[in-house]
Amino acid sequence: MEKKLSKKALSKSFHNWYYGHLTCFSQEHMQTFGYLCSMLPLVEELYDNEEDKAAAMNTYTAFFNTEPQLGTVVVGITAGLEEARANGAEDVDEETINGLRAGLMGPIAGIGDSLVVGTVIPILLGIAMGMSTGGSPLGAIFYIIVWTLFAYFGMRFMYFKGYALGGKAVDFLIGTQGEALREAISTLGGIVIGAVSATWVSVTTSLQLLNDAGEPYLVLQDKLDSVFPGLLTAVFIIICWFLMAKKKMTPIKVMLVLVIVAFLGVLAGFFNPGLAY
Amino acid sequence: MQISWIQAIILGLFACLSSMPGMGGSSIGNYTLGRPLIGGLVCGIILGDIPTGIMVGCAMQVVYIALVTPGGTVSADVRAVSYIGIPLAMVALSSYGLSADSSEGAALATSFGTMVGTLGTVLFYGTATVNLLWQHMGWKAVEKRQYKKLYMIDMGLPWISHLLCSFIPTMIMCKMGASVVELIKTTLPMDGLAMKTLFTVGALLPCVGIAILLKQIVKNGTDFIPFLFGFTLAASMGINLVSATVVAGMFAILIYRLKMLSANRTVAADGYEEEEEDI
Repeated sequence: MEKKLSKKALSKSFHNWYYGHLTCFSQEHMQTFGYLCSMLPLVEELYDNEEDKAAAMNTYTAFFNTEPQLGTVVVGITAGLEEARANGAEDVDEETINGLRAGLMGPIAGIGDSLVVGTVIPILLGIAMGMSTGGSPLGAIFYIIVWTLFAYFGMRFMYFKGYALGGKAVDFLIGTQGEALREAISTLGGIVIGAVSATWVSVTTSLQLLNDAGEPYLVLQDKLDSVFPGLLTAVFIIICWFLMAKKKMTPIKVMLVLVIVAFLGVLAGFFNPGLAY
Repeated sequence: MQISWIQAIILGLFACLSSMPGMGGSSIGNYTLGRPLIGGLVCGIILGDIPTGIMVGCAMQVVYIALVTPGGTVSADVRAVSYIGIPLAMVALSSYGLSADSSEGAALATSFGTMVGTLGTVLFYGTATVNLLWQHMGWKAVEKRQYKKLYMIDMGLPWISHLLCSFIPTMIMCKMGASVVELIKTTLPMDGLAMKTLFTVGALLPCVGIAILLKQIVKNGTDFIPFLFGFTLAASMGINLVSATVVAGMFAILIYRLKMLSANRTVAADGYEEEEEDI
């Protein structure tokens, strides 16, 4: 008789992944234990024999790490493959499953990091911060509700799509339609981030030149703003981007550079936060 | 403002839930409770000043708007930013008598948060290292085919790692932090070089956060145009963030349609039609 995974086992497997993919994280094995826990309910339902169970579980002891939310699709795909293997499919063995897992880890991590963590979350946070201006909790509550629902149902969708479609499930992520969607979302992200930085980041200079009478005849900040409002902020952001993207500096190094720039700037009178008791 | 033991304990618990390998899971822990904006709400509720919490959270959120942790490398630790940095920044603001919605207040909050967040990476590596112990037990369990134990190892025992590396450090730093803030205040005058630098750094740091995000999107010069377009919408035209998102959404739809159109053309030119699939 054909073995078929029950809805209950699949749901348990999904929830184990949803919650447990990173709880026991280490630099060495990363998401491997989360993966084992999410495959366990499936393996227990598919195999009666202890030997078969051990062989199946052994497959998933291989290292796994990707962007875990989008990576749910990989767990779904392997659920489908494990079911096929239990039914005696000849072309599915440990090697094909792990080959597929290893092959998908990289691309899914790349897409997930830039699309989910790098674009969707910042856009939601940008909107939420706009709603929270002045200390209103509204924006934070908005983010909690929208992101939680999006993450849970999105991951659930990915899992069951992966289970039903197998390898085809990732086609829409890397196919033409996926590419168009990615480009559209990344433009959306770019515009929103521009608006976020103009609203929330403010780099200003206090430099002014005084005439003989002691009145300022050049206020640099006003001059810069008449060229392009927020020019100094935009320039600093682009310099930071340049240091990280082109000079391959780590964020922490760039932060240290900024500390030095701030120190020298304060000494030279370029920066002055204008503090007093 | 003082932080009581009870408040420090609750903050410690949230730190356990919210860090990168956190006990709340990634979506609820790291990506919700760990975000400084949400941390600001939680800390505001715990410390009894929601508006200040939210405003401090917003200021720090800009720095960490794109906290991506590719392959488990972290430049800052969210549990430290949100549950040590925000409470201490709130204490500092009330001690200095600054308002959180002033630019000085935001700069002070950002400097404090980033300092704590960067030091907090120690907590991240600590937790991950202690977890190795449980994973070692996990491999033994797999060998002996005691698979049920895996649940305990994946979801139960890491609480001990967090007790050591999240709960205790957060509780102690929040409790003791208030007196350290006082100490800084008395030793470093506000109009001195050190404090001026600290505040200036606070204003500059969000640039790094935005730049990390741009690194994902911008590959060459023309990719800067959408960013500068959004910047202009807000800085020159005074459009708020929600409205800017709507404008951006319009452009996203146009780009998607254009891309699909040109893709379909090439397909048609190749002599076969590809079936439309719904996402």
